[in-house]
Amino acid sequence: MRSRAEVRESGVSGMGGGARLGARLRVAGEWALRALVLALLVWSLALALGWGGKGAVERASTETLSEALVRWTTVAGPERVHVAFDHAPSLVERDWLAALVGAGTAVGWSGPSLLPTALAIEPRADPAGGVEVSVAAPAGALVVLRDTLGPLDSARVEALGGVRAYIPRPRATLDAAVGAVVARAALADSLELKRLLVLGAAGWETKFAVAALEERGWRVDAEVRVSPQTTVRQGSVTAIDTSRYSAVLVLDTTAAAYAERIGRYVRSGGGLVLWSPAVDAPRLAALAPGRGRGAVIEDEGRPPSDSAPREALSIAPITGLVPDAVVLERRGEHVTLAARRLGAGRVVETGYVNTWRWRMAGGEDAPEQHRTWLAGLVASVAYVGRLEAGQVPPSNAAPLATLIDRLGPAVVAEEVEAGGGLDRAVLARWLFASLCLALLAEWASRRTRGAR
Amino acid sequence: MSRFVFATAEYASGDWESAPALPANLIDSVARYTSIEVAPAGVSVRLDSDELFNYPFVWLTGHLPVRFTEAERRNLKRYVERGGFMMVDDHNHDITGVFHQTATEEIERLFGKLEQVPNDHEIYRCFFTFENGPPHTNHELNGWGDDLLHPHLYAIFVGPSTGDRRRDRIGLLYSNKDYSSEWNFHPETKRTMQQDPTKFGVNLIVYALTR
Repeated sequence: MRSRAEVRESGVSGMGGGARLGARLRVAGEWALRALVLALLVWSLALALGWGGKGAVERASTETLSEALVRWTTVAGPERVHVAFDHAPSLVERDWLAALVGAGTAVGWSGPSLLPTALAIEPRADPAGGVEVSVAAPAGALVVLRDTLGPLDSARVEALGGVRAYIPRPRATLDAAVGAVVARAALADSLELKRLLVLGAAGWETKFAVAALEERGWRVDAEVRVSPQTTVRQGSVTAIDTSRYSAVLVLDTTAAAYAERIGRYVRSGGGLVLWSPAVDAPRLAALAPGRGRGAVIEDEGRPPSDSAPREALSIAPITGLVPDAVVLERRGEHVTLAARRLGAGRVVETGYVNTWRWRMAGGEDAPEQHRTWLAGLVASVAYVGRLEAGQVPPSNAAPLATLIDRLGPAVVAEEVEAGGGLDRAVLARWLFASLCLALLAEWASRRTRGAR
Repeated sequence: MSRFVFATAEYASGDWESAPALPANLIDSVARYTSIEVAPAGVSVRLDSDELFNYPFVWLTGHLPVRFTEAERRNLKRYVERGGFMMVDDHNHDITGVFHQTATEEIERLFGKLEQVPNDHEIYRCFFTFENGPPHTNHELNGWGDDLLHPHLYAIFVGPSTGDRRRDRIGLLYSNKDYSSEWNFHPETKRTMQQDPTKFGVNLIVYALTR
């Protein structure tokens, strides 16, 4: 009896040339199938060891996120998740997702309706309190400011971007809603205000500047020149330094004798508010954003309106701006408000020379408007100490930025659909099917030619 | 910067123009003693007009009964509350006279009771010093009018109740001393006077401009 090998050999040797070639190719194909099976086994092993491929993408939306987070954390530990936000996640949800990232889950997200928004609130150097609010948002977006009691104000972002507002009596936190994004900021500290020093000649502008600031709650020292020999003093004007004064207000050239001390004070961090006629004194002009001033353009005597009160005031335009001066306000071609930094301090110069008319002759709200405006000038330069608040409520001043910081940039929809590669479970199924097919083909090939 | 303009209040009743030479004498004194920029001529301004608010210092005087119109009352209240200074002087120097009785009634109807100004108040020291309070006038010393030497002036105090000040600013000052007669002399006469009687008027203006 012949062995199987003899039969196989005789079978081959007993064939014609074409059949022999076909048989060799068939044997080669069987070897190829064996190699394929081996490769598929290695691939399956690698897959089993966690190399290559990706897990299934678990998906959630803003509405289902809280439930999904629980499931992803406690039941199934998905390798990849994707969240489609239609508004910014809460702090807890955001941090939970970040924790999943830390635990090895690939977290992707998308949210085309989330607009980049940032909110900053700074306490204003003003005894009346209040905060300066700055919101950065895309041009054209509608910004709604609100606190826990409801909406406070709204504004549309101009072309250059950003909205600034003053909120007189803020609560602990403030929200800025821009579309689907709500930025929240909390007051982190309060200010320690010192006194103000007002220097000027006897006149209505000096009198009403002092009155407005005192009504606002500032403690004011003043030196008001009445004659070359006579000065009306309020408070004790001693050292001009940041330990005593938050700001110095100079209305005219009568303060020239103090110019050197005021210069030192500003350079050490103090604030200076200058009325433009003060720059007629060269030593004061050296501190100012504008080294000169134009001739006074007298008002027309009409009462200042509530809507544009400063339009009805006399101005001494600010001229000769120094290179680092910043123009804050103009009337036509004339600069009426400018500012600069000087050492560690700041200087703001106003070209409005009879703002007292605003208060006296303006509309119903004129006294309050005048006080607020003047207090704003002071606040923009004032030196203040800061006191940290004890406990600060949680906030999220830039939701989109922190989301990107924690989870990485958003994944565009196409990338999510493409998945970035085959799902691991699907791949395993395909591998198994391919393995079975290859083995079956190799076995069938061998059996049909009589080999075992 | 705005110059100081001396304004006399015109009101609908009474004789508001009863001391026509007074503005020139006070303007002269302010220019003489101080460096305050002052307009060389005064103006008169209707108490019921918006123009009133362009003049934060206003002098009001007269001999006759004072009955403000509603518009005058409204303006006067707003004027004082916004920081204006009104000097009201009884040209009769007579506490039983019609001006005193009607003017004080109008003032107190608007602002509440007139308060006595202490004689050490800043208004007596802000430029010239008057140790004994308001200087007496020749009309008091000569026994005219009510034949009294009035030792005090009266005021409506206004101002913030926060900060260093607690409603201590005089918004309206009332006098029975008849400074309207005392200072209503021909300007040329001042040269012949041994003492300038208008010095207290300078204090009034300096106070109004500095507080």
